Amino acid sequence: MAQVTDRSSFVHKTLAYAGLIFVLSLILIPYSYIALTAFKPPGEVFEVEWLPREWSLEAWRYTFKTVEFQKYIFNSFIAGLGAAILSIFIAVPGAYIFGRKQLRGKEIFFYIITVALLFPYVLLIVPITITWIRIGLYDTLPGLWIAYQIFIIPFALWILRGFFAELPPSLEECAMVYGCTQFQAFYRVMLPLARPVIVSLLFMTFLIGWSDFLFSNMLTTGEGPRTASVILYVTAVGGERVEWEVLMVMTLMAGIPPVLLYILAQKQLMKTFAVRRR
Amino acid sequence: MVKISGIQVKNLVKSFQKGTVQACKNVNLDIAEGELMVLLGPSGCGKTTTLRCIAGLESPDNDDAIWIKGRNVTRLPPKDRNLAFVFQDITLFPHLNVRKNISFGLDMRKTCSKEEIDRRVQEAARLLHLEELLDRKPNQLSGGQAQRVALGRAIVMEPDAFLMDEPLANLDAALRIEMRTEIKRIQRKLLTSTIFVTHDQEEALTLGDTIAVMKDGVVQQVGTPYQIYHQPANIFVGTFIGAPPINLFPCSIQSRGTEMIAISDLFYLPIPEAIAKNLSLGSQNLTLGIRPEFVTIGPKLENSFLARVTLIEPLGSRTLIFLEAKGREIRSVVQGEAPVAEGEAVHVTFQMERVFFFDSTGKRI
Repeated sequence: MAQVTDRSSFVHKTLAYAGLIFVLSLILIPYSYIALTAFKPPGEVFEVEWLPREWSLEAWRYTFKTVEFQKYIFNSFIAGLGAAILSIFIAVPGAYIFGRKQLRGKEIFFYIITVALLFPYVLLIVPITITWIRIGLYDTLPGLWIAYQIFIIPFALWILRGFFAELPPSLEECAMVYGCTQFQAFYRVMLPLARPVIVSLLFMTFLIGWSDFLFSNMLTTGEGPRTASVILYVTAVGGERVEWEVLMVMTLMAGIPPVLLYILAQKQLMKTFAVRRR
Repeated sequence: MVKISGIQVKNLVKSFQKGTVQACKNVNLDIAEGELMVLLGPSGCGKTTTLRCIAGLESPDNDDAIWIKGRNVTRLPPKDRNLAFVFQDITLFPHLNVRKNISFGLDMRKTCSKEEIDRRVQEAARLLHLEELLDRKPNQLSGGQAQRVALGRAIVMEPDAFLMDEPLANLDAALRIEMRTEIKRIQRKLLTSTIFVTHDQEEALTLGDTIAVMKDGVVQQVGTPYQIYHQPANIFVGTFIGAPPINLFPCSIQSRGTEMIAISDLFYLPIPEAIAKNLSLGSQNLTLGIRPEFVTIGPKLENSFLARVTLIEPLGSRTLIFLEAKGREIRSVVQGEAPVAEGEAVHVTFQMERVFFFDSTGKRI
């Protein structure tokens, strides 16, 4: 690259950085406020001071000991993980067929599934709740996993189909000439190639389960596998006083794992969503 | 020489879209053990479909179309045919390195020991100059290297035949010529039957022991490169092969004493005995074909006619001269430099023993 010397590009750079800093502060300022508030004693929560005058672990103690929030975090984790794994088992073979195989009425099927993406799934919550109670899935983790698939699957199919359709058509043929059965061609060639996309999907579908509020709230009880976001809500609306410092602790606990996961999955995510270059 | 049969294609019919489109109409081919046959034809002529039927990637309409070493394989899956296919769009497995790509078929087959696989991969890598590249991923290879890897993957299988579907089409011109020679050299060394599909006549002529020219799902002619060039079965083969292309003139046959004469508005040409014996007097609507190198420009002779030089194209060792007479274009190729200048009027003669006659259906007489 040539050295940037002229004035207009200097201005351009300055403006770009100013923009970046502005956007970044929109995100970072609230987050740091959350983190700091989590360490304030209840009396200090409404003060405008940024740093707590007296660092307190009271809110943390309350969250872990009294609410036992870690239990619900674990529920969230299992709900997300199960939803993610189940969706991969359904969506990968499905997308492969939609993307690469000749099938009568394939296009129509796919459009129907895509329409499901547009359907406001809030409307489904009552029938699902009733059905789940009837067939014994109410208040169970598998009940949550399956309920999430309703909107995860169309979304996952949509992303994966595009990926499979883009791979050169002769890849499987080549695998089959060199000794693979149809299934082996899928398993040994297509699946490894799809790995970055699958990892990205795992990440995104995990997030759906992790942060879901609606289904978890409707399909579980306090005794069952209730997830963290429901507890967050209950903490916010229940009681005489909103315990902001506790809410902030919970927010941090619910917010950090996805960030960590993102860092782990980042390389694969970039591969999936970056513009493909040859 | 006794031909040992390698691959036979018998009355192959393949239709698509519920029989509405016939890609192969009764294709018959016989590829001897160790032979390199080129399937040549314009795009859409059914050559690739034929090859894919042989490989098992398409299923023929008839049950006994494909035979390998005397065994009917028409309904076997591709993996059970012991054939190696090289694709046009250089299909390497992107997630595997070069070594694993080359050994893919052997790894799948599970009949070779690890040492044997290693040995074969090394051998193929040496043959194709890939030793340095074995640990690279396909996206780190140039087009030529990638296609060599694809060849390597085919070679290590030690298959009954190589099937190559325009493997050089995606390479640039210089590389294509280099790889062409390489493929022929390797084929000569391994003596594995090979079917090579191309639409490039130069590739076909340089590579093939035999060439099968196809058009509209029908094999037009099977023969050696020299037969295909010098004895085309019909007008299509005559025009499809040869660059610059053959000259064609409508004509009729009349007699002059004991001689037969080819007559058109342009010429009045006595026909040599050897050719004349196949012709019948009074034939109308014939087409006379003559390749440019047999159109000579020279002194006025009894059978020559006048033409004007319109354009001269040097082709290196040869020169292509475009002539015009009575509104018809005639192409002539001479060795070396053009003996004439653009705009000049010259006398043109055909070397009559090199002339073809095609009947009204296009068949050579």
